[in-house]
Amino acid sequence: MSSTYTLPVGPLHVALEEPMYFDVKVEGETVRAVELAAGHVHRGMEALAMNRNWFQNITLTERVCSLCSNSHPATYCMALENLAGIVVPERAQYLRVIADEVKRIASHLFNVGIMAHLVGFDSLFMHAMEIREIMQDVKEGVYGNRMNLGALTIGGCRYDIDEESKGFMLDQLNKLKPLVAELHNVYDTDPLIKTRTQGIGVLPLDKAIEYEVVGPVARASGVNYDVRRKVPYAVYPELDFEVQTDTAGDVHSRAMLRIREAVESVSILEQCLERMPEGPNQLPGFVPIPKGEAIARSEAPRGEVFYYVRSDGTDMPQRLKWRVPTYMNWEALQVMMAGCQVADIPLIVNSIDPCISCTER
Amino acid sequence: MLPFLKIMVKNLLAGPSTEAFPFAPAHTPARFRGKANHDKNKCILCGICRHVCAAGAIQMRVVEDGSGVEYVLWHNSCVFCGLCAHYCPTKALTMTDDWHLAHRGEDRFAVREDSFVRYGQCSTCGARIQPRPAVIVEALGTRYPDRFMMCPSCKRESLAKRSVPAKPDMETSETSDE
Repeated sequence: MSSTYTLPVGPLHVALEEPMYFDVKVEGETVRAVELAAGHVHRGMEALAMNRNWFQNITLTERVCSLCSNSHPATYCMALENLAGIVVPERAQYLRVIADEVKRIASHLFNVGIMAHLVGFDSLFMHAMEIREIMQDVKEGVYGNRMNLGALTIGGCRYDIDEESKGFMLDQLNKLKPLVAELHNVYDTDPLIKTRTQGIGVLPLDKAIEYEVVGPVARASGVNYDVRRKVPYAVYPELDFEVQTDTAGDVHSRAMLRIREAVESVSILEQCLERMPEGPNQLPGFVPIPKGEAIARSEAPRGEVFYYVRSDGTDMPQRLKWRVPTYMNWEALQVMMAGCQVADIPLIVNSIDPCISCTER
Repeated sequence: MLPFLKIMVKNLLAGPSTEAFPFAPAHTPARFRGKANHDKNKCILCGICRHVCAAGAIQMRVVEDGSGVEYVLWHNSCVFCGLCAHYCPTKALTMTDDWHLAHRGEDRFAVREDSFVRYGQCSTCGARIQPRPAVIVEALGTRYPDRFMMCPSCKRESLAKRSVPAKPDMETSETSDE
């Protein structure tokens, strides 16, 4: 009698309610090998993009994913602006950074909240989600929607921040700061969280480099890689923030890193609101998109987002392609899961903050 | 030990943080992007809203007798991105803060903005032109009020017949006609 057998995990309800299927070879309770199967939420978005004009694709790319719904249109617009050879007004660049960081805080708090839920600590999950609600109120109050900000347009931003919304945003940030600090302390010291998350799903530095993981997954394993610093865009070079890194590379360190990044994002937001110059928030008129191809990349909450656009001079893209962080990160799950317990699979999957709808689009 | 216990007790004492909707009105911020609203008195039928709409929620169809355009925006197709309102040059399309869009399944095609926008008429020859509603005339047509109400060919004619010659030594067409 063979002591190993294959356990199907998924496609539904592995960590988030997003479909992902694993064939897990287990020996008793221990995972020996993992095989991933993807493709359950393929919606043909790249083909859809080729059948829509430049403007319609702002809305389409915003709907690729809900948690990083600002990073997609932002990178898409950056690629188009690179192609057209135009420079976005400085105020618009600040507004873009603000929108990105608001989304980052909400996304990171969501992920650490889900981690508490997977540990079985639902009261902490509810508390983390309640803290996140402060940022949700910012999105709803300043942008007009809780998830899809609708902040961007080709050549600038659609929204502007006046004195009233600036005051509102600063109030909310002041409300958020002590709560996030408190949350950091809970995640750092709570014995339940520590027992379940420390030392599991370890991704050592050499493997992180080999699998070319990005975002918080890479940074928690000691790879100091952040697009905001490595290939600065918008106004990031002028902003004062530290790229958070860690060396443990386990589930716990990735969660802690996300909370620390949220704290950095709060500071970025405060700097932006303070330094934002007066001026137009977008270029006047319509930006003509010439024939040619261009790329752009940016740091989404989960890591590097890469956009490629090719235009034949008409009002529709000839090709629009994007690569999302989860594409690199989920391959590393094979390293993280090797030797773990079956009960830890959801925690490890959640720790890479997978976004299946981005990756399979 | 158990650092969360204190927070939990605090949360417990604070009571529920959800809103009492539907028994009490829910808070809606002023900038909320809800149901789109089309004002036929501002619309000039430029069609940019339909062009930028990723959802294809907007339809503009010329009515049979050619007197105007039937403008339809289906709220069920709309994704509330607000691009139409952003690009609308006359702000005929706006996003309201109304999010009360619940309706019965059989009404799904009836929940829509439905308006009839009448074409304008050239003040000289009566040809069909884009609408010239009063608010638009006040906003855009004050520089050359006469020409603003004309069709393109009458406009060219009137420009060619200007009494002021383009160059001082040239004779205008107006004088040569006489």
